[in-house]
Amino acid sequence: MLNTLRVEWMKVKNYRAFWILLAVTVLSIPGVNFMFYDLFDNSFPKMKGNKMAMNIFGTPFGFPDVWQTTSWNASLVFLVPAILIITLTTNEFTYKTHRQNVIDGWSRSQFFRVKLVEILLLSLFTTLLVVLTALCFGTFGNKVPEGQSIWQGSRFAAFYFVQMISYSMIAFMLALFIKRAGLAMGIFFIYMIVESIIVGYFGNHRKIEAVNYLPEEVTDRLIPQPYLKAIFTQQRVSYWESHIPIYLAVAAVYLLLYYFGASRRFLRTDL
Amino acid sequence: MNSILSIQSITKFYGRIRALHEVSFDVPAGSVFGVLGPNGSGKTTLLGILMDVLKASGGSYAWFGQPPSEQQRRQIGTLLETPNFYHYLSGERNLQIAAAIKGRGQEDIPRVLEMVKLTERRHSKFSTYSLGMKQRLAIASCLLGDPSVLVFDEPTNGLDPVGIAETRELIRDMAREGKTILLASHLLDEVEKVCTHVAILQKGVLLTAGDVNEVLMNEDFVELGAPNGDKLREVLSALPGIRQLKQSEQHLQAFFEKDNIDLGGINQYCFEKGVVLTHLQLRKKSLESKFMELTNK
Repeated sequence: MLNTLRVEWMKVKNYRAFWILLAVTVLSIPGVNFMFYDLFDNSFPKMKGNKMAMNIFGTPFGFPDVWQTTSWNASLVFLVPAILIITLTTNEFTYKTHRQNVIDGWSRSQFFRVKLVEILLLSLFTTLLVVLTALCFGTFGNKVPEGQSIWQGSRFAAFYFVQMISYSMIAFMLALFIKRAGLAMGIFFIYMIVESIIVGYFGNHRKIEAVNYLPEEVTDRLIPQPYLKAIFTQQRVSYWESHIPIYLAVAAVYLLLYYFGASRRFLRTDL
Repeated sequence: MNSILSIQSITKFYGRIRALHEVSFDVPAGSVFGVLGPNGSGKTTLLGILMDVLKASGGSYAWFGQPPSEQQRRQIGTLLETPNFYHYLSGERNLQIAAAIKGRGQEDIPRVLEMVKLTERRHSKFSTYSLGMKQRLAIASCLLGDPSVLVFDEPTNGLDPVGIAETRELIRDMAREGKTILLASHLLDEVEKVCTHVAILQKGVLLTAGDVNEVLMNEDFVELGAPNGDKLREVLSALPGIRQLKQSEQHLQAFFEKDNIDLGGINQYCFEKGVVLTHLQLRKKSLESKFMELTNK
């Protein structure tokens, strides 16, 4: 695998688009967090020191809530790493280098596995960015509440990792099946919107619970919206806590489906 | 082991279209094996199956007497269909990737670039190469690591006459070194000049396969001319070993049962029978005419 990864590195290290997209990914996660931080800070300047206001609006950028906040904010820019995955995957089909790699001496499963490892590495990388962003905002912005560890609440970073793997696998599958960058990106983006509409109408409006387990929604539910947490009822919080294992289990099932669907496509059909 | 490659009843369907039908042949070690056929005959499909980029609908094949594997492909230099490289990378960097996948040949890159005359353009992006340059880079990639087996699918595509001649000479040089070469082409003249064995495909069906001399066996003929054509025909009809007589526009064509045609013997025979020949010439039936004969049946 190390040799295979080394070859993958050779493919991208001189590819300008890769570095641009990676730079945008690196900047987007702290960037979107800073944007929300700035909005929060500038919109409610009188809130600081006002205990009642603080009770309502909370301290989204302070420990322990900063973990949830940065994870949720980072998930808003999921499209950037997804574009990177789609671009790198569809390039192989555009240039037919996926065929050439196999002809030159890779097995099909070798090619497929290294792409999965890349998705894993990218997801780990973006999760690390979330962790660093959370630590920065949490450390420099606020005092750690007494008796609490800075790592309390860091499970949201793990949930972000699950979410990123899930989005990335969807992007990878689309790239594998569609093989054209523009079309794959378009369908990826449209699917996200369509699912949001379905969840909004059938889930929130018609109260059909099944839509909460759609591919994007089930991982989104791992990281609830962090702002104005005080208005969330305890019942709602308890409901969410009790369903975390279910969300993770359903996400895992989807990941297995993505894996088997993509591998069947690549390993058994004509390249 | 005598065969580098053994193909058994390979069949391929694209939906309902049958691209290959139970194709079987063996490629002897050290041979230059031509796979011939018109466009759409299944040549590229067959090579694609052998390189695992296509899945056969039936049948099997074995490289080096072993079941197919990626390790074998690393020992084979292959040019399949079109040159496939990363457009944003230079020629040299593309070869580095190919060598890394093969697990050998990194130190070979300058040599193969020089062989295909791309040394000066090695740092240029692949996207800036002409069609001929792309083809030459693909040939260079095949030669990385000095493989013992080469598979070429239309290697002279896009090359100018000089490039075609150089490629032909390269194939001959490789053959002299004892390498086994599998060459798919529809340029029969080129194939005839270099191949030791041929397989002819038409619409996915193998029409014939074997040593090129066996495929063309009994296809040499003698052209004769005499002042009295009728007497010449009568005399030749009684000649032992004669298989067939045909009248062309200007001469009589005599086909024999065996390959060893003795022109001196024929001349003496005719003279003894009272026929003085004005024209006597041995003609080899070309691969092209054999191909046309087979594919027009």
